[in-house]
Amino acid sequence: MSRASHDHDAVRPIQPEARETSVLAAAAWHSLAWLVVANVIGVWLALLLLYPAAGSWLGEWSYGRWMPVHLNFQLYGWISLPLVAWLLKVYQAERGFAAHWSRGALWLWSLALTVGAYSWLNGHSSGKLFLDWTGYSRVFFPASIFFLWLVLAGAFLQHFRSPENASAAIRGAKLLGLALLALVPVAIYMAADPSIYPPVNPDSGGPTGASQLESVLVIVLILFLLPYGITRRGPRGKQWITAAWILFVLECLLCLGLGRRDVSHHRPTQFISLGSLLVWVPLIPAYYSGFCWHRNTRQWRIAVLAWWALLIPTGWCLFLPGVLDHLKFTDGLVGHSLMAMAGFVTSLLILLLVVLLGDDGDVFDSRWAFFAWQSATFAYVVIMLLAGWIEGNDPTFTMVPSAMRNAIYGLRLVLGVAMTAASCNWLLRLTMRMRTTTIRSHRSSSTTRSLREAASV
Amino acid sequence: MLHKGRFDGWRGVALVAITYVYFLIFAQFGFLKRLQELGLEGTHLKAVMGAMAAGGILASLLAPFLPFLKSSGRRLQAALFGAGAAAALTLLRLNSASCIAVSFLIGISLGLLTVTLVANLPLWIGVKQPLLKVGLGTGIGYFLCNYPPLFTATPAAIAITAASAALLGILFANPVAVTPSTHSNTAIRQRGAPAFALVLVWFTALVWFDSAAFFIIQNSPALKAGTWEGTGHLWRTGGIHLAAAIASAGLLRWRGLPATLSIAFASLAGACLLLLHPAHAGAAAFLYPAGVSLYSVALVAYPSFLMPGFADRERVRRAGWIYAVAGWIGSAMGIGMAQNLHRVPPAFIAAAATLFFLPWIWWAVHHFRREAVAIVAVVAISFGIQHVLSPKDASRKPVNRVTAVQAGRRVYISEGCINCHSQYVRPHSPDVQMWGPVGDLEAIRREKPPLIGNRRQGPDLSEVGSRRSPLWLRIHLMDPRAVSYESVMPNYSYLFKSGRGDALVAYLGSLKSPQSGQHLRGVMNNWQPSAASIAGADRLDGSKLFKEHCATCHEAGGEARTRWAASFTRLPPNLATDHLLYIPTNEGSAQLRARIATIIKFGLPGTNMPGHEYLPDAQIEAIAKWVVAMRGKS
Repeated sequence: MSRASHDHDAVRPIQPEARETSVLAAAAWHSLAWLVVANVIGVWLALLLLYPAAGSWLGEWSYGRWMPVHLNFQLYGWISLPLVAWLLKVYQAERGFAAHWSRGALWLWSLALTVGAYSWLNGHSSGKLFLDWTGYSRVFFPASIFFLWLVLAGAFLQHFRSPENASAAIRGAKLLGLALLALVPVAIYMAADPSIYPPVNPDSGGPTGASQLESVLVIVLILFLLPYGITRRGPRGKQWITAAWILFVLECLLCLGLGRRDVSHHRPTQFISLGSLLVWVPLIPAYYSGFCWHRNTRQWRIAVLAWWALLIPTGWCLFLPGVLDHLKFTDGLVGHSLMAMAGFVTSLLILLLVVLLGDDGDVFDSRWAFFAWQSATFAYVVIMLLAGWIEGNDPTFTMVPSAMRNAIYGLRLVLGVAMTAASCNWLLRLTMRMRTTTIRSHRSSSTTRSLREAASV
Repeated sequence: MLHKGRFDGWRGVALVAITYVYFLIFAQFGFLKRLQELGLEGTHLKAVMGAMAAGGILASLLAPFLPFLKSSGRRLQAALFGAGAAAALTLLRLNSASCIAVSFLIGISLGLLTVTLVANLPLWIGVKQPLLKVGLGTGIGYFLCNYPPLFTATPAAIAITAASAALLGILFANPVAVTPSTHSNTAIRQRGAPAFALVLVWFTALVWFDSAAFFIIQNSPALKAGTWEGTGHLWRTGGIHLAAAIASAGLLRWRGLPATLSIAFASLAGACLLLLHPAHAGAAAFLYPAGVSLYSVALVAYPSFLMPGFADRERVRRAGWIYAVAGWIGSAMGIGMAQNLHRVPPAFIAAAATLFFLPWIWWAVHHFRREAVAIVAVVAISFGIQHVLSPKDASRKPVNRVTAVQAGRRVYISEGCINCHSQYVRPHSPDVQMWGPVGDLEAIRREKPPLIGNRRQGPDLSEVGSRRSPLWLRIHLMDPRAVSYESVMPNYSYLFKSGRGDALVAYLGSLKSPQSGQHLRGVMNNWQPSAASIAGADRLDGSKLFKEHCATCHEAGGEARTRWAASFTRLPPNLATDHLLYIPTNEGSAQLRARIATIIKFGLPGTNMPGHEYLPDAQIEAIAKWVVAMRGKS
């Protein structure tokens, strides 16, 4: 449904009951706010690489202390909260009695992240990248996740006999999901323990092929699960969905067979098994074609699949003997991480938010913001790969600033500003929408209507 | 009916600016310096300042009841005259009693001046864009106070400036032809006008924090140096004041008084928190002037433009209460706290923030009761769990029970060094020659946590202890660009204000394996630049490379050599002229060049001479050639 067609109810102020139903919008708002903050910090970090003396303005809050804040805001703020929104939707915690508690869970999550940031800025860190939680924040963040789990479990029990949970298979799947989700807070607490460390590739100091295969399979699993609960199966592509699940099981078996040991990327078993991921390049688009999608999602679905098609083959190439030896520890891998996070994952998360917000997902429709983000990310990846390649030949390139290095880093700064501007646009549009209109509940017929309209996809 | 046309508000802008200049640069600053010149301190000084506060409070509260000078213009002129006369009197050689009298006069004049001005502002500022004009006047006032020649002027010069400004104000404040019967129609519609008592509490808290922060900075050399000492800082502070004052006008217009004061409070509370540590003074220098200007505009604009419509007398009465309680008493409380505690305690800031934001907190709790309960419960339970688990958390072991190396490792983790430095030498790669030898993976795994890292913005550090001396590491941490050309490494001199810097140096010095010496000797003996590198060296400017990488230690006026001369056990040789201890004197030119190149590349283990392992061989060769040529000439 286009904006124009529902203008008659677009300008209603938010009513108390509407507040209950806008939990998903609140989750989107929290995640976008973290994206903006993380991007601003990223711009600051890019600036510091060009003008290190500027760091003295903030005293002890130096480059190394801002880095975990930047990375963790992206991971636990921007990337996690849309998935939290998805869970709230799947477990029907965005409606009724649970809605209030869901809001509380969102604020708790953000508060825990703020407490974490404060501790990192003040020099408290476990020393593990992306798992810097230590001291109070190491307890508080998992406790916040556990609270979210309680909300989900409560909502599940409340809606146990609702029409959405009519089938035993759905109930079983949700129960299994809850059981697995209960492990997450404990896993995060344990993983932040400095004495636990994953397998190491002895020839690179980085992750092994098996570890990378494992990580990508987790992402594939998330990709498989996301359409459930937010959209429905379409008339076509059933065979692809079945084939994808079978292949996924086979890949998991391969992963189990590889084990968790310190193995070099020079071992053919490692890079060949990682190469098996290439099969997902065509299979994920085929899988997604088996579902109905809201028309607002079109540009983001294209972006997701385009980045996916780039990410998997380049990721595999970067792991190959010779290539990884050349690019390890350089900006080349930073570029590839950005391709994963800013390119693929961000497009996927916005796709998810667009679906969750239904007709209000058009807050992500801005053409300039879309192209600013996508083109800046692409250019960023290209220049970082170039910088990494040069650095692989000559480590002086990074350590001793030159005109070329400064030009690349200057361009990176500009691209970072463009990405920040795009994220600000999304946040502002969503904020304005939340202030001026009622964000619709998916309890209403809006989703069903939209899906019906989108069935042509 | 209001007077229009002839004034267009510029007189109001000037009067607001003059009042701020008089109050800030003279009453709060220059007069104190003058009292110091006169030798007043301790109880006498307190008595003088107390007299000013008493005068200010008295005049503010009694302003609506004064039986004479009914005309606002005449009253303003009288107040300005008193203020100017008081400023001029400070030029005389005063004793304690006369200082008290002059101070009382300053207080009386300021009390009358401020209350009369702010309660009748439409007379001089007009009704067109009044908030913007108030913002402009306030911003200009603060900007002028930070004008370096005025800020650093002698007390006499400041007193003359203040007296002249007051005289100028008398000209601008001449009575207007038409007196407004009421200002009720000048109040700008706000989003929900807050109760007067609440506004009074807000302003008091803001002035309290402002005064405390000002006093703390002014009386702490380290903080003063990082905030408003030096011309550059003063221009910056003035600019921030001006920009924030104009922004405040916009905020007041579009977001209302509560939002503006909230942002001001957040800025000032943040500044007070940052001032707890001198290292954060730089950030406080931005927040403090922004917060001050944000609320100062509101302080001037509130009685005339933001208060709901009242009769003139009531408006003056309320303005009097604000300036007496918030202005004078709030300021005295803030200064008193700063004098006694030398800081604003974080617990006080938290309590003040809770009180300040009480209406919002109340609203949030009322509307989101369950969410609030959930948050408080999880926060409290987490504290309990952490309390139970904390003894098991090894990283929380008290600092005094660890060795310098262990403490240094903690600093390495705290500062996030892992984000730019790896500690992993990849076998069969150029790493081995640059940073080797290859470490034992099992030994790395035993570290908690392993600090392998994933990005090299700087060199690998796994063997840095065998390649860099403690002195070099210290210099590099304190002033990276003194020893590493154009290094992007942050300056970590703040670590050396406590024991953290020395601990970090101890840790980095410990990063070497038993076989590192043998490995390094082997690498040095086997290193041979390729023919292409030697040929490539001819195309490079050895002199420029020498300037960039070597001159800091090896040239007569080199930066590191000069600044750290006392720390070297043996001063690095001037490569143009000095005898080279590690090179035999009878070597031929080619051998000399090869030896120098090896030393440039790998340094001299056991001395302060570092290697430049990351430089391409052609650059090493170019520098070596230049050194040989330079020595030949000399």
